[in-house]
Amino acid sequence: MSSEGSNHNLFRALVRLSPLGLPFLVLFVGGLGLAVAQSLGWLLPFEHQGALLDGYRAALKPHLLASFGFSMLVALVSAGLSVGLGAVVAFVLWKLPYRLQQLSVVYKVGLILPHIAVAFVILVLWTQSGFIASIGYHLGFVKTPADFPAVLFAGNGVGMVLAYVYKETPFVILLAFSVLQRMDPRLVQTARMFGASELSVFFRVILPRLRAVLHTAFIILYLYTFGAFDIPFLVGESAPSMLSIEVYNLYFKRDLVNRPTAMAMLVLMFLFSVFFIVLYTRIAKRMGQEERKL
Amino acid sequence: MKRVLLLIIALLLLPSCAGDETVQTQQPSFDPLTSSWEEVQSAARGSVVRFYMYGGFAHTNKWIDTYVTAEMLTRYGVSVVREPMDASVFVNKLLTEKQAGREEGSIDLLWVNGENFKKLKQNGALFGPYAERTPNFLRFMDSTLAGTDFGYPVEGFETPFGQAQFVYEYDKARTAPPQDFPGLLAWVKAHPGKFTYPQPPDFTGSAFVRQAFYATTGGHAQYLAGFDQALFDTNAPKLWSYLNALKPYLWQQGKAYPKSAGDLDTLFARGEVDLNMSYHPLHTQSKILEGTYPDTAQSFVFMDGSIFNFHFTAIPFNAPNVAGALVLANFLMSPEAQLSKLKPDNWGDFPAISLTSLDPADRDAFNKVDLGAATLPAHKLAEVAVPEIPAPYLEALEKGWEEHVLRGQ
Repeated sequence: MSSEGSNHNLFRALVRLSPLGLPFLVLFVGGLGLAVAQSLGWLLPFEHQGALLDGYRAALKPHLLASFGFSMLVALVSAGLSVGLGAVVAFVLWKLPYRLQQLSVVYKVGLILPHIAVAFVILVLWTQSGFIASIGYHLGFVKTPADFPAVLFAGNGVGMVLAYVYKETPFVILLAFSVLQRMDPRLVQTARMFGASELSVFFRVILPRLRAVLHTAFIILYLYTFGAFDIPFLVGESAPSMLSIEVYNLYFKRDLVNRPTAMAMLVLMFLFSVFFIVLYTRIAKRMGQEERKL
Repeated sequence: MKRVLLLIIALLLLPSCAGDETVQTQQPSFDPLTSSWEEVQSAARGSVVRFYMYGGFAHTNKWIDTYVTAEMLTRYGVSVVREPMDASVFVNKLLTEKQAGREEGSIDLLWVNGENFKKLKQNGALFGPYAERTPNFLRFMDSTLAGTDFGYPVEGFETPFGQAQFVYEYDKARTAPPQDFPGLLAWVKAHPGKFTYPQPPDFTGSAFVRQAFYATTGGHAQYLAGFDQALFDTNAPKLWSYLNALKPYLWQQGKAYPKSAGDLDTLFARGEVDLNMSYHPLHTQSKILEGTYPDTAQSFVFMDGSIFNFHFTAIPFNAPNVAGALVLANFLMSPEAQLSKLKPDNWGDFPAISLTSLDPADRDAFNKVDLGAATLPAHKLAEVAVPEIPAPYLEALEKGWEEHVLRGQ
């Protein structure tokens, strides 16, 4: 009797959720299903010749693995720098007098700008014919603007990291600052009274309270950077290139036979993202527990 | 509760209802492949043609929206609606529709060529053969020249719209350009960092690699018969070694390439590189008129060959308005439209029709068009013109370039 009632309630809840749930089911699960099918050579708009796992075999070629490693590296460095920088700036902002805090809304500019606009900002500033190179030339550091060291397109992803850090740090500040605002300032005052330095206040009082939100921010930023397309398209390198660019080229610009490979790469990227979230939350949890034991 | 469920069901049914309605508007009795041209024209009168085309050229868009739209309306009573869309996107869309068996599409006419045409034709996603049904194709077109598209037989499934040829660009005030591919190698050594090409599979970058392939392996004639793996394997290493010899002297020492022709245009305009390239002979002139390039910019060609190709219009297998599409495709091949298209203020696209088929007065009108000081005269371009390579070579070259040049050495 009671189980029947709960079944009925579940059904009602599902129906009520359906305006949200149906689009999710159709768009996300459907899209994922289609990607898996096409990666195996099914449901393609042309006849697939070759074995079931050909797409995956091609997706695991050395140069694509290099792209995979490079995407992970760029994501790690960008997300790590953004989280670190964001936490420090949030702390500094929090200590400012109220009036100055109000003025500091300028940091939100990076939040409002779309990724593609940030990539353009980086292009305008940092190319060898860009703003910074011209300043260097006018101050006499280099003989011609073209002698300015190549910051972008040098094969190491610095351009992309610059763009991501510019775009993502404000996001971390926003999250961290809202946590700090709910924190009791007397905690810091007490620590100072007992003679803690500014550094140990940051690491031992502030950081433990920011831990949860910084972990979340790191996961979001890491996975976004890992798979995003717009910034790599404008300021990315040619080789190794980011995975998103490789997938785009394979799917849209090359022969149709490459489509299973492109789809296989997308499926692998999705699996990696899920795996990363699980692994990261486990490690973060364990680290948190050890902290508490101390 | 029930109302909510009903609403959801109604929402799910909505798209299929919409589909039914459009099917009913079609006249089943009219077959465009057998009716006379007069019947096609009268069937088209009062209809709307949706022309899907690449939307990135402002002057092209304007020409379609003004001249073509107005003429089509006054001459044939057909309204033209231009829908901007990248070729790769509409190819995708059509292949998916073909796969899903969707008989009633949304596209009437496409702007297409090369690989994209091949994909569509191979998968049966095009209507036709229709070329010989259009009077202007029969009257003005050289059917041998327009009979293949990147070496792939057209067989009447698309009709020529315009012609393009590969040119290089330089600035007279900045540099003296090389004359051929061996000269280019010497030039980059003398001007390190001042040359690069868009990264294949970009259209322009890929065309540059094909020209280098012709030039370093003894000309184009050997490749036109179709793909020959053995020939490719013997010849391709010569191309890779040439391009790798260029590499250390390229912009950013070849560690990065501009991702598109537009990116390279920007590098050239800002002076980061001194040579540029384009698949449009009037590109330099239009950039000067736009104010992006200085007046001293000039286009030129290499003496060891410059690739040309046709671009076409085609009709999808599920076009809702085939008659209107036929009338538009036919109008685009008329001498009036081709002449208007050639004028640099309008678009500056070279005619697809053969000028020898015209009477002297009309031919004169074409010769009199002022293409601008930065543009090479048609006969200079014709002297070095070489045809495009068959499409299978294109895929092999792009793949090989990534393996041997981008990641090589």
